[in-house]
Amino acid sequence: MTTVGFAGLTHLGLVSAVGTASKGFNVVGYDADLERVSSVLAGKLPVVEPDLDALFAANALRQTWSDRVEDLGRCDIVYIATDVPTDDRGRSDLSGIAALIDRVIPALKPSALLVVLCQVPPGFTRKLPLDADRLYYQVETLVFGRAVERATQPERFIVGCADPAKPLPDVYAALLGAFGCPILPMRYESAELAKIAINCCLVASVSVANTLAELSEGVGADWHEIVPALRLDRRIGAYSYLVPGLGIAGGNLERDLATVLRLSEQTGSEASVIASFLANSRHRRDWALRALHREVLAVKPDATLGVLGLAYKENTHSTKNSPSLELISHLKHLPLRLYDPVVPASAAGHPRAVGAKDALDAARGVDALLLLTPWPEFRKLAPAELARAMAGRVVIDPYRLLDPAQARAAGLNHHSLGAGPSC
Amino acid sequence: MLTHAHAEPKSPSRVVVIGAGFVGNSIARAVERRGVPVLALKRADLDLLADNAAESLAKRLRADDSVVFVSAQAPARNAAQLIQNLKMAEVVAKTLAAQSVAHLVYISSDAVYADDANPVTERSSVQPASMHGMMHAARELMLRTEAKVPLAILRPSLLYGAADPHNGYGPNRFRRLAAKGETITLFGEGEEMRDHVLIDDVAEIAAATLAHRSTGVLNIATGVSTSFRRIAEMIVARAGRPVEIKGTPRQNPITHRHFDIADTLKAFPAFHFTPLAKGLELAETGA
Repeated sequence: MTTVGFAGLTHLGLVSAVGTASKGFNVVGYDADLERVSSVLAGKLPVVEPDLDALFAANALRQTWSDRVEDLGRCDIVYIATDVPTDDRGRSDLSGIAALIDRVIPALKPSALLVVLCQVPPGFTRKLPLDADRLYYQVETLVFGRAVERATQPERFIVGCADPAKPLPDVYAALLGAFGCPILPMRYESAELAKIAINCCLVASVSVANTLAELSEGVGADWHEIVPALRLDRRIGAYSYLVPGLGIAGGNLERDLATVLRLSEQTGSEASVIASFLANSRHRRDWALRALHREVLAVKPDATLGVLGLAYKENTHSTKNSPSLELISHLKHLPLRLYDPVVPASAAGHPRAVGAKDALDAARGVDALLLLTPWPEFRKLAPAELARAMAGRVVIDPYRLLDPAQARAAGLNHHSLGAGPSC
Repeated sequence: MLTHAHAEPKSPSRVVVIGAGFVGNSIARAVERRGVPVLALKRADLDLLADNAAESLAKRLRADDSVVFVSAQAPARNAAQLIQNLKMAEVVAKTLAAQSVAHLVYISSDAVYADDANPVTERSSVQPASMHGMMHAARELMLRTEAKVPLAILRPSLLYGAADPHNGYGPNRFRRLAAKGETITLFGEGEEMRDHVLIDDVAEIAAATLAHRSTGVLNIATGVSTSFRRIAEMIVARAGRPVEIKGTPRQNPITHRHFDIADTLKAFPAFHFTPLAKGLELAETGA
């Protein structure tokens, strides 16, 4: 039986390990952080993802968790699966992954393969000190909030190799084959850039959506009416990223844009569109702040506000680059009532914020309510109940979690991305 | 973006305003209202084009002063005026290179941005299309590189207010014409949209920048752009007498300017701009 190791029990490593165990492989999850390993051993997973706890429990017999790097010595394949942190300019800090690889390589058995699964810039893998026949790079397509689905039902595997003309080693081909999807071998640099290319395409779609959603707000159109028409166009596609958002949230997309800008500067290629994506993202990120000042604070400067959602997106505990926390940081002078299903109110670090026990409680007595993370439970809120709980009428609901017609019927002054107040 | 050295506002020891004209006086009054001593220097007090200007300025400055540099021969329309304005800035930069002060606030202009920068933010490219814009861009650079003091650059959009001595196309001229019952003549049909900011709001933001000892760049605009025709109509409606608004054949293509004011909302969350209708009323009554 093939044993697969995962070094680094971060979001990526943990979900990938559990996903691989669910395909019938033995897995060894290693992390130098004993506390983290102990927590996993106790069944308390440090990440929140739909279906992860159940999948973890169902495959417990095939999973080993350890803080000893030697335990990776019995693996046939070891993935380097740690998150690569970014600084506030979107640049990757590769020192952690480099140190991890230095620790893991001596622990490998002589025939074992090493696969880099984390996001690294083109050129990184080829420089690693390991025999090219044992060294691979594999694109990860983790999506926060949909990580289990992505790890167990990938669309395809993109595999970076020293020589893509050579067949993959049997053990690796068998592992990937268990997922029943296409496998695309290519040279290391192509695979590393493929990951960036995927994210650039996603950013392009989202940026088009955000640009035209803002225009819709100005010309009396409703972007949500336009999206289904675009999805039916085969050249655009049913799954394209067309839902408007508060800019490009999350750090990974920005990281890839920063990498493209840096490499383009080095190589002299033209990449001004990438800078435009970033400028548009920054502009749209402040949509709620502008709407709040225009609709509420210009009239009532000392308003009490309710905020629903602190996580950077639904179904995750991550607050990195959260538009909600960013907005809250600019409202330090106002009293706030905060609620998130997973993230505690203390994460906001706001001097005048109180944590509410649920969404309706956060709306109680507030002059305006902001719904800033699209958690599914917020979609079930009844506008009429919110209207009864609130003192004021303004609801700033960028993701349109409430039905605009119902909100209007409840007497609320409802504002969402992609449509002016009349829609 | 502005970065505040003082998270909570703190009174500067003294504010020195170089250029106590329309804008400078408004800032001086706003600072005085906060109980801060002000030394407002008019051209008669300090001529930045005089031979001994640097010496004369140096003598008046103390190390703990916060300086507002607003003096300009505006608008600079030709090369000679551009050079004169740069000489004035050279004096200030040279003086502050030799003699440090606590803080410098330079009142620049949104004319430093490209005409097609829309919406304008503090990150829009500095790409002036006019002599006036180039003058401010060059002065910013001189101060940034030579004056060794914490520097805030404020870039206001079009200003209006009761005491504005300029009679440029826009609220100030329209108001004066309407008061006399004379025809308001528009360029084209007055379609161009601009962001007009009341002088009092500029003064308040400058005073807040001084109180936080902020550094960086901030635009001063309301975030709401209005066409010249609409402004003319608002003024005529207030005039209480019939005033004709007349279009003329268009000479130049229509350009608009909008601002994204998120940086201001972040820098001064409790500040709110005076809406245009209210501002026109204040300008008219001279309040």
